[in-house]
Amino acid sequence: MNSPPALRVYAVTWVALMALLAATFVLAHFRLGMLNPVVALAIALAKAVLVALFFMHLRRSSTLIVLFALVALFALAILFGLSGADYATREVHPAPWVAPGAY
Amino acid sequence: MSAIAATGRPSFLEEGFSLSSWLFTRDHKRIAILYAITITAFFFVGGAAAAMMRLNLMNPQGTLVTADTYNKLFTVHGVVMVWFFLIPSIPATLGNFLIPLMIGAREVAFPRLNILSWYIYLLGGVFVIYTLIAGGVDTGWTFYTPFSTLFSNTHVVEAVMGVFIVGFSSILTGLNFIVTVHRMRAPGMTWFRMPLFVWANYATAIIMVLATPVLAMTLVLLSLERILHVGIFDPALGGDPLLFQHLFWFYSHPAVYIMVLPAMGVVSEIITCFARKRIFGYRFMCYAILGIAGFGFLVWGHHMFVSGQSMYAGMVFSMLSFMVAVPSAIKVFNWTATLYKGSIVFTAPMLYALGFVGLFTIGGMTGLYLAAVALDVHLTDTYFVIAHFHYIMVGGSVMAYLGGIHYWWPKITGRMYNEAWGRMAAIVIFVGFNLTFFPQYILGYLGMPRRYHEYPPEFQVLNLFSSAGAAVLAVGYLLPLVYLGWSLFKGPRAGPNPWDARGLEWKTSSPPPKDNFTAVPAVDPVPYAYNPEVPPA
Amino acid sequence: MSTTTPEIRPAEWREQTASLGMWVFLATEVMFFGGIFMGYLYLRAHYSAEVAQASRHTHEWLGTINTAILLTSSFSMALAVRFSQLAKRETVQRLLWVTAALGSAFLAVKFAEYTMEWHEGLVPGLHFTIQENARVTALFFFLYFLATGVHAVHLTIGVLAVLWMSWRLRRPPFPDWRADEIDVLGLYWHFVDAIWIFLYPLFYLVSLSS
Repeated sequence: MNSPPALRVYAVTWVALMALLAATFVLAHFRLGMLNPVVALAIALAKAVLVALFFMHLRRSSTLIVLFALVALFALAILFGLSGADYATREVHPAPWVAPGAY
Repeated sequence: MSAIAATGRPSFLEEGFSLSSWLFTRDHKRIAILYAITITAFFFVGGAAAAMMRLNLMNPQGTLVTADTYNKLFTVHGVVMVWFFLIPSIPATLGNFLIPLMIGAREVAFPRLNILSWYIYLLGGVFVIYTLIAGGVDTGWTFYTPFSTLFSNTHVVEAVMGVFIVGFSSILTGLNFIVTVHRMRAPGMTWFRMPLFVWANYATAIIMVLATPVLAMTLVLLSLERILHVGIFDPALGGDPLLFQHLFWFYSHPAVYIMVLPAMGVVSEIITCFARKRIFGYRFMCYAILGIAGFGFLVWGHHMFVSGQSMYAGMVFSMLSFMVAVPSAIKVFNWTATLYKGSIVFTAPMLYALGFVGLFTIGGMTGLYLAAVALDVHLTDTYFVIAHFHYIMVGGSVMAYLGGIHYWWPKITGRMYNEAWGRMAAIVIFVGFNLTFFPQYILGYLGMPRRYHEYPPEFQVLNLFSSAGAAVLAVGYLLPLVYLGWSLFKGPRAGPNPWDARGLEWKTSSPPPKDNFTAVPAVDPVPYAYNPEVPPA
Repeated sequence: MSTTTPEIRPAEWREQTASLGMWVFLATEVMFFGGIFMGYLYLRAHYSAEVAQASRHTHEWLGTINTAILLTSSFSMALAVRFSQLAKRETVQRLLWVTAALGSAFLAVKFAEYTMEWHEGLVPGLHFTIQENARVTALFFFLYFLATGVHAVHLTIGVLAVLWMSWRLRRPPFPDWRADEIDVLGLYWHFVDAIWIFLYPLFYLVSLSS
């Protein structure tokens, strides 16, 4: 790298991260049902993307490095997804002596 | 021959003779030899366990060892052969030695990580040897819960820690290969000029770095569950034993491609040289390698068809398992097409490579039977499965490994081995292998379960054939120790290119100097320039 | 990238090679933590109400403060990397100190949390006294201690590496390969931060609305 990014880039990124942290903390206190985890993870993803793009300078990195930055996420998606295919489609037959709702 | 080949400089073997010059080396070629010595030792440990098993199975009552001991034998056989022999075999020995040479580099990207990976391998080995001495482990190499976490009374945690540690050796090797291939190729060595051996090890490295860490965490979870009696695999605690299996096989299925892809790379090098022909369909071979590596991540559930996983998941994994056979089949077709109208020479490496093609095909086709859920319900946990994976791992990978050792022996050691002995050993191994494992297909079809120390009397004849075959196989494996060892001292000195092969590794002396090449080598514009015959530069 | 060779542009080649090596390593780390995330996913999907109840035992204020600390440490680390590219040795050294201090503060808070959780009887297998919703709470905290513990180990290694790098900078010169090392160390640090970015909502923010 010949000239690194301006200081402002880092400062703005940090402020955005703090804002997102405040947002996720506040929003967690609201009863949004199914949206609670979705919102929380979406904000987490946004924070991670900001860290990756600006602090880890993925924005200025080669395609090869971007691919390696993403490949593990693809592999995890396969792990979660195909295992999920099993969990989502299992029929559960509780034994007769198990009280309903117990585990 | 150009001046590059006859370097007149000391070979890497002559740069220091002290023990510390070997134990603290950063030379990828020396590290390869260190690995070769240790994996050979572990091969015979795993082989001894197999010998005991086959001896026990000679009579139906199986009274040579107790049932508990038998369980420990098949466990140590699996653990040692998978993690301490097959996974490192070709990558850490031949891969470490040849990849920099084949791409025209002086070294791997991270030489210190390379020697560190060998020490990590040894540390893992210490844990496994300790486990053996302390009384063994009896869970099977698959460590299934809840037996491994709740009920086994053997040294599970020590064994699992050994595997956990050796996994990091794998990860470092893979990381090194990936960065080396991306960053250290000589000028002009584009991706589609690289030997298929390099492609194969690169794809293997990707699998190593992505899959092995999942195994590592799974083994941590298993150990904690066993030690603390809390965890996510125990249904009584709210957990799920199948969660272990999903996590375990997510690594262990791609692991079998770690074990077979480098072997395929070796076979491509040998067949082209001894058929004197360019590989048929070079680009398709490259894409097939990548396809096998990629698809290999999608099929792990075929190890779990009868485990309690859902029918829907079973169907999905079954379909994906059929699809993964396609790139492998493409490779077999292309090797066959390469042989067609070639000028075939039946050297020892060629015998091993041809053996690979045939035996891998049989093993692969029986994999298709197992991929069909309806058949797998009957064949799973029988000797059919054992025969299937031994045809690929032993008939395939081990034979390719031996073929590679013979093919590159003059390059590594500077000596030629005795070709007659080499051919004889290859034939003994081929005969012994088939005698050992083909009866096991029949036994499995007839219903003999795996991991049993005893069996119904009507299976004895086939078991005797199998055990006799194992004895022949043992002789076959011991022979190379004799004549290869002899060649180190008395074998005729080899020139830079005794096989008149193509590839940059043959353009330097045998053995190569420490920095591999005297000057940056000139890259051939076309890989495998055997036909039309283009003399090496 | 491949047109840069060690002979043609050695500095750029070295920097990109080191960077690629670290990114490949980080990919392995993502897969390593992935196993824990899979366990968490299983637990949360099967017992979502019980997990929510169990997570009330976490100390969300401490978790939030720690997240702020770690994000700020990433800021100082990123600045250190930036100034190392300008060879500003003393500035880099100070920023590395700040980074290490913030990382240590995180670890101190974590230690305090663990101590409190021990006294509250929340450590499964060792000191667990919760009666209500015991099974899922035990599983939840098993994963909590494993995930945050492995994370803390990674962070400790990072703090030590940053301190060591800072110590090596105590005197001139500032060769440009030092900047590569700091860049690679920065990538590791940001990764540790990124893992926490996901651990925080998964363990601390599950049930605050109930």
